Amino acid sequence: MNVRSRRYALAGAATLATLGVIAVLAPWLAPYDPGERVGPPFARPTPTHPLGTNDVGQDLLSELIVGTQVSLLVGTVAAVAATVLGTLVGVLAGYARGWVDTVLMRAVDVVLALPVLPLTIVIGVFFGPGLLTQISVIASVIWAGVARELRAQVLSLREREHVQALRVMGAGGVYVLSRHVLPAVAPLVVPQFVLATKTAILLEASLAFLGLGDVTAKSWGTMLSIGYARSAFLTDAWLWWIIPPGLAVALTVMAFAVFGYALEERSRPALRDASRPWPRPRQSPRPDRAAPAAPALLVEDLAVHYRSDRGAVTALDGVSLSVAAGELVGLIGESGSGKSTLAAAALGLLPPAATVTEGRILVTGRDLATLSAPELRSTRGGRVGLIPQEAMSALNPVRTVGSQLAEAVRAHRTLDQEQTRARVEELLALVGLDPDWAKAHPHQLSGGMRQRVVIALALAGDPAVVVADEPTSGLDVLTQAEVLAVLVRLSRELNLALLVVSHDLPMIERIADRIAVLHAGRLVETGPAADLLAAPRHPHTRSLVEAAPRLRVRVPGGPR
Amino acid sequence: MALRVGQYALVLAVAATINFALPHLAPGDPITYLYGGTEQGLTPAQIDELGAQYGLDRPLIEQYGAFWSGLVQGDLGISVEHRQPVVDVLAEHLPWTLALVGVSTGLSVLLGTLLGAWAAWRWGTRRDTAAVLSVLAADAMPGFWIAMVLIAVFAVQLGWFPSYGATSIDASGAAWLTEVAQRMALPAATLVIASLGGFFLLSRAAMVTVLDEPFVRRARAAGLRDRRVALRHALPNALLPVYTNLTLALGAVLSGAVVVETVFAYPGLGRLIFDAVTVRDYPLLQGAFLVVTVGIVLANLVADLTYPLLDPRVRRARPALEPA
Amino acid sequence: MTAPVLAVEGLTVSFRGRAGPVRAVTDVDLTVRAGETVGLVGGSGAGKSTVARAVAGLVRPERGAIRVDGVDLAGLGRSATRRLRRQLHLVFQDPYAALPPTRRVADVVAEPLAIHRIGDRAERQRRVADALAAVRLDASRYLSSFPHQLSGGERQRVAFARALVTRPRLILADEPAQMLDASLRVAFIDLISELARDRGVAVVHITHDLALTERPCDRLVVMQAGHVVEQGPTAELLDRPRHPYTAALVAAASGAPIPRGAQ
Repeated sequence: MNVRSRRYALAGAATLATLGVIAVLAPWLAPYDPGERVGPPFARPTPTHPLGTNDVGQDLLSELIVGTQVSLLVGTVAAVAATVLGTLVGVLAGYARGWVDTVLMRAVDVVLALPVLPLTIVIGVFFGPGLLTQISVIASVIWAGVARELRAQVLSLREREHVQALRVMGAGGVYVLSRHVLPAVAPLVVPQFVLATKTAILLEASLAFLGLGDVTAKSWGTMLSIGYARSAFLTDAWLWWIIPPGLAVALTVMAFAVFGYALEERSRPALRDASRPWPRPRQSPRPDRAAPAAPALLVEDLAVHYRSDRGAVTALDGVSLSVAAGELVGLIGESGSGKSTLAAAALGLLPPAATVTEGRILVTGRDLATLSAPELRSTRGGRVGLIPQEAMSALNPVRTVGSQLAEAVRAHRTLDQEQTRARVEELLALVGLDPDWAKAHPHQLSGGMRQRVVIALALAGDPAVVVADEPTSGLDVLTQAEVLAVLVRLSRELNLALLVVSHDLPMIERIADRIAVLHAGRLVETGPAADLLAAPRHPHTRSLVEAAPRLRVRVPGGPR
Repeated sequence: MALRVGQYALVLAVAATINFALPHLAPGDPITYLYGGTEQGLTPAQIDELGAQYGLDRPLIEQYGAFWSGLVQGDLGISVEHRQPVVDVLAEHLPWTLALVGVSTGLSVLLGTLLGAWAAWRWGTRRDTAAVLSVLAADAMPGFWIAMVLIAVFAVQLGWFPSYGATSIDASGAAWLTEVAQRMALPAATLVIASLGGFFLLSRAAMVTVLDEPFVRRARAAGLRDRRVALRHALPNALLPVYTNLTLALGAVLSGAVVVETVFAYPGLGRLIFDAVTVRDYPLLQGAFLVVTVGIVLANLVADLTYPLLDPRVRRARPALEPA
Repeated sequence: MTAPVLAVEGLTVSFRGRAGPVRAVTDVDLTVRAGETVGLVGGSGAGKSTVARAVAGLVRPERGAIRVDGVDLAGLGRSATRRLRRQLHLVFQDPYAALPPTRRVADVVAEPLAIHRIGDRAERQRRVADALAAVRLDASRYLSSFPHQLSGGERQRVAFARALVTRPRLILADEPAQMLDASLRVAFIDLISELARDRGVAVVHITHDLALTERPCDRLVVMQAGHVVEQGPTAELLDRPRHPYTAALVAAASGAPIPRGAQ
């Protein structure tokens, strides 16, 4: 749990604890018995009655304090009932699947689709006002939400490989459920309970307001109900009769909500770990002092640090690398070597936690650090293109291939519709795809075709430099070969400076003119591909070359 | 799709069956619920006679059948309070609720989604935190309380808006429209404040997830403007879960409408439900509940039918592999 | 010749698609003997993972027989099936997803023993230490680690140790090296086949990359679009592929430079 969400959880918990204490000590805290007439009716606030009195002369402050009891009681009891029922149904449906799931979830869907308040009102009216009615009515409508949430969690857990692995090992349903599923789901039940309580308290207030509460049990809702019936909100009395109980409800519900969401955020790593989308680019007053004959991509003495909980971590240290026009350079690095950081830095797309502490990156002679935000934007795509990792999900699923290409084209050039269409077709032809695919959505394409589209996108702005970060990950060897052939052909045809970043030496070997080896943030060796493979100088390079999986070159019919 | 339609038919059937079952399950004599019983000045003999008239002496299953055949013919019984068919009473009040709920849902979806997306864009910053806390606070306030506070401030203290009703009798033409808009302002604002939270949280969570997707990074790498990346790439994907969760949201807005219409004396279904509760007009209450459910089901059906417009992946058959 | 540990005959698997059933695997035959490593190779969509999942019981076959040690998996009672499950294990592709995130390595590796109620505490500890040693992990260093503290290669070794701990007769490894750094792949596959030979375990190694099959695999079975198109001893098949698809796979894995065209 990060610091901020822990702080919210604490604030929420502290508020709830205070409210709990007030509820328990209410009889002693309240200055008067709220059921007794202790002053004139409709009295304005006085030192003896800080919130005045109601229509029969009962003390409003005492009502407010005692009201905490009913509101919290109804809320928590209804939420406990709903959470227990919802958890049982959700876990059972998610785990059993099949007809059990179908039947249970139809019931859940039906309850969720029914209008909550009208339903509670209809049931409440028939069974008469009263605490028990309120609690059961509220519980009977909010369990379904809990069930739905927990079923979704159990289902996704079930499909995880580590749970499937248990089934392969021959584990029975009871074993998987009790040892793995329930312990994993338990932390999710707590936030569900807290959020259910929040809903229950709001519903209780609404029911009480509509006169369906227990009239003898004073709650915040009944206070507001009577205040409304006596038109207190049309007079000055709204300040002391209407505002306080409403604020009390809001405060309680908010405390539950903040506490619940903080807990939920903790139990959902996906939400917690999501980083801020993107930072402002680092501004530097340094003038652009590029040499005219500079290579298309020049990385000079680059150092990048990441901020982390345990202080700064060095991702790159003193890295210098150049890629000339028409050259294909392969950057080899194992996981954690900093190769993806280098790829991101070349586009000025470092994550927020990363800072360039030393050195600079020149793209076609322009120092990325000196560029303004609009200049940096036109550089991306226009001077340096990216073929990203995870190419399978690098396309927007809800838009056609053509519209995404057209957009990338127009980001850098003002073209009319006809010109744009022509350029899109040209780009598709460039990567060996029929122009008709422009009308297709990404999910209609095969993996290899999608990767070709991603390459076309990187080329849309006519960049001089292209950085490909693991361009063949997730593709089988046959598709890999096709994609590599496209890359090699394009680097020649378009005279691109192409930097291919990968952990796969055999793949890089097949395409690179020069190879650079990155190890623990440092460039340990750079050289022409053939030389480096034939006579690796650095021990790390040597071990990479030796360990690389490759087929022995075959002599047809020869001995093995 | 056939499955979804079946699902909704089931929802309606369950709602109708709840209506039929409640008078029988609840403590007391069903006639009490249908006609107000002795409270309405009926003698026990009259109650028996009415019971026979309503077929209450017949087997339950026959009564259930009769109930359905009545339902199919649009017979929801007679309102005790209004002394006319429930259907007529509902038809008179329905348009106001449709207008109010329509306007409020539209505004609330629009504001909630955009604000949620904006907060996700600023994820983890002070502005995001401030937005989340304000929305949680708005979400925590009971709708009827917001209504009373708005009336106290804007109608009573400042006198900017009228505090009750939907229109005035003497207005017509353009003046009538202005009048309607003026009188809808406060109730609509209340509903928007009370129901904004769900859409905000949903859209913020969806947007945070989408912003992490590789295609968003790729779009930025292509040199697109941040606003374009957000509006044309991230938002359309983040909208999908918001759209599919319209069910829950609509239920919330309608629930809010019941109490809010009550406070503003707005002549819609919500106010009708409140009045029906006060005088225990059971047939009217059941009819209103049924109509509200039908409304929600229809809205969801429309959402389901139009979903493929937003998500091309579900438009054509694709081999979604499931073990056979 | 020993009796085969795994004998698959006429295996056919279909999935439910939106437009009717989709055939993933058609009439596949496969035999693996004790101590033998068989490579099941093909591009994506060839159906090779589906074969493994059917054998592991995660997917129900439409037709065909799967025999482990001569016993047909179909028509076995629940407890007999569970006993048979001890005899086979599936190692998944993704070492990050295949281990439960909240358990320590000691518990992860011991889990199959707990499921099948094998041995007492001491016996389990001994077997876990033995399995970790077999995959060359230092038990004293790793026993109390959580999976997230390990590298991809270490995790995959832990997953493999878990596969070994019940002393199974058959291990199915589905692209077990795919998520590892290229330089670790060969060593990991070699480790699997070496242990198979030493312990007399039958191994099915599933991969799309023939470069990972040359040393460890005794025989290769090539699949394309759900069918077996060619099979034979590894060296023979790599040297003289008869089917054009096999030839294409060999060419793709041979690491031949991509033609650069006119400069």
